[in-house]
Amino acid sequence: LKNMLSQVTGNRVLTEADLGPVLTTLQQTLVSKNVASEIAADICTSVRSSLVGKKMSTFSTVKATVLPALELALERVMTPRQPIDILRDCVAKRETRSNSPYTIVFVGINGVGKSTSLAKTAYYLKQNGCKPLIAACDTFRSGAVEQLNVHAKCLDVPLFQKGYSKDPSSVAKAAISKAKEDGNDVVLVDTAGRMQNNVPLMTALNKLIVQNKPDAVIFVCEALVGNDGVSQLQMFSQALSSSSSKTGVDGVILTKFDTVSDKVGSAVTLSHVTGVPVIFVGVGQKYNHLKRLSTRAVVKSLFKD
Amino acid sequence: MVLVELGRSLRASLNKLSTIGGASEEVIATVLNEISRALIEADVSVGLVKAMKEKIKAKIELTSDSHINKKKLVQKAVQDELVSMLQPATKPYLMSRKKTNVIMFVGLQGAGKTTTIAKFAGYYARKGWKVSMVCCDSFRAGAFDQLKQNATKLRVPFYGSYTEADPVVIAEKGVAQFRKEKYEIVLIDTSGRHRQEAGLFEEMQEISAAVDPDNTVFVMDGTQGQAVYDQAMGFHDAVDVGSVIVTKLDGHAKGGGALSAVAATASPIIFLGSGEKFDDFEPFNAKSFVAKLLGFGDIRGFMDE
Ligand SMILES: Nc1nc2c(ncn2[C@@H]2O[C@H](COP(=O)(O)OP(=O)(O)OP(=O)(O)O)[C@@H](O)[C@H]2O)c(=O)[nH]1
Ligand SMILES: Nc1nc2c(ncn2[C@@H]2O[C@H](COP(=O)(O)OP(=O)(O)OP(=O)(O)O)[C@@H](O)[C@H]2O)c(=O)[nH]1
Ligand SMILES: [Mg+2]
Ligand SMILES: [Mg+2]
Repeated sequence: LKNMLSQVTGNRVLTEADLGPVLTTLQQTLVSKNVASEIAADICTSVRSSLVGKKMSTFSTVKATVLPALELALERVMTPRQPIDILRDCVAKRETRSNSPYTIVFVGINGVGKSTSLAKTAYYLKQNGCKPLIAACDTFRSGAVEQLNVHAKCLDVPLFQKGYSKDPSSVAKAAISKAKEDGNDVVLVDTAGRMQNNVPLMTALNKLIVQNKPDAVIFVCEALVGNDGVSQLQMFSQALSSSSSKTGVDGVILTKFDTVSDKVGSAVTLSHVTGVPVIFVGVGQKYNHLKRLSTRAVVKSLFKD
Repeated sequence: MVLVELGRSLRASLNKLSTIGGASEEVIATVLNEISRALIEADVSVGLVKAMKEKIKAKIELTSDSHINKKKLVQKAVQDELVSMLQPATKPYLMSRKKTNVIMFVGLQGAGKTTTIAKFAGYYARKGWKVSMVCCDSFRAGAFDQLKQNATKLRVPFYGSYTEADPVVIAEKGVAQFRKEKYEIVLIDTSGRHRQEAGLFEEMQEISAAVDPDNTVFVMDGTQGQAVYDQAMGFHDAVDVGSVIVTKLDGHAKGGGALSAVAATASPIIFLGSGEKFDDFEPFNAKSFVAKLLGFGDIRGFMDE
């Protein structure tokens, strides 16, 4: 890799032929760091076309020209165009005195960390002066309600639950009413995990969203996800988009970041797919293990060998 | 089955060897590149794919002087590599009716261990085995309730505790009880963990030492990408993994991470999970799988040629 990158020097115009090998190697590096193949190819192609015809400064290597351009492109991909701040939005809604709670729905495939991220979010909001209520709308998976009950007790946050086999959309509705009654300014809605290609389950989730009109839909994905991350985010966004929300998903929580070491590519993949911002990363199994994504750190890990 | 998609791209590549004139070195190089790309897009570890490509190249070069049909040569080399990847030296553990088979399930957080144990229990209970479960996950919120609810639905006896915090103690007591009661199969559920947290791996080793399992099953999520190999390696190094079960193959992922897990643990895949219901579970046979994957019919017929 090092050899390849340091080849070709001089004060001249960059051609496809100069860039090809360097970018191919860098693209491989990205893929080995778990950036989805098509996303890595996309980004490298755009860097290539932005550099072809550019003049290299004297004594500079192709690598010295390409790497910073690629790093910049990656940072740009991960920097949201429309950042979302749930705490600020919660407070803003409370101050309108509409008496209707700020509602967040957590969605995603099975086992990625929806319920845990919900609990972490409850902790974060409570620490910052909000009064969250948790709605147990995973009425399907064994132990889902008890799991939330444990979190609610530990966090000293009320849990609204109707047990199993109930229609999740109705449970969410009842929870929102209950929050209004009790003066809770945030409702955090847990949902059952489902595969993005499972049409009946995706339709049911769409119904929950349409009927309850949450303020934010958070797509939870694990940093371990491979190429499938692209399809997950695309299909959840598509299934949940409606007239009121074009993207369907308002933000992403990327969990299990503590399990991937330097293979942090999914942060790039997910930011690139729809441009939906990564709100938080999950970095462990404790309540305070919710952090903001550091795009610098991600870029650094990607090119660390 | 989702891994089949991978087979389709592999077959298409291999067919090029017969459609584009003879098998010139250029064509072979293209085919090998395409196969590598298909494997990487299916989430097989990049390092593994590179090594595999080198091995195939070496095999082809070794025999390049002879007049052997190049297409067959490449096909066989690819097939051999896939088979050896999917079918490691370790023989699958054979369940014995004459004793208590203790099977411990380990894996990353949310991989599907608890659900897979329920499926596994259902599978053997239907075949008339006396099956039981022990919940040694004293960490995850609601873990015992989850296992208990599954066991109750399946009418399988279970052991666990709401108050005992030490999973080693639970493991010892549970296994002792079911051994005494002459259960043929005892399934040990453990907490999700990852290689970056040494304490969690030590705990797993302590449980393993306490119950002395006849087989340890690594449960992995089929949607995961490039980090799987390192994680599987970590589990392999910490405990004596003997089998792999791949879950969540009902989604869109191509499940290539499974190949990485098999390579890392040197253990065969024994079952595939393809849904949340207890019977979304099928036994896996590597031999007939690869034969089907590459579409060459019976693998032995091919090998004998
Ligand atoms: N290491 C680590 N583990 C996490 C993180 N977030 C969640 N987990 C673990 O992942 C497992 C699954 O988490 P859940 O919150 O139950 O996942 P879920 O998406 O609600 O799962 P389902 O409701 O079954 O679809 C649990 O063991 C969590 O403790 C994280 O950021 N890091
Ligand atoms: N669609 C689908 N979901 C699955 C499959 N196997 C497990 N799941 C789901 O994945 C989620 C996590 O499964 P669990 O069995 O709780 O995973 P676990 O490994 O025990 O999780 P921890 O104990 O937190 O580490 C649950 O929602 C399961 O229903 C599968 O093959 N397909
Ligand atoms: Mg959940
Ligand atoms: Mg479990």
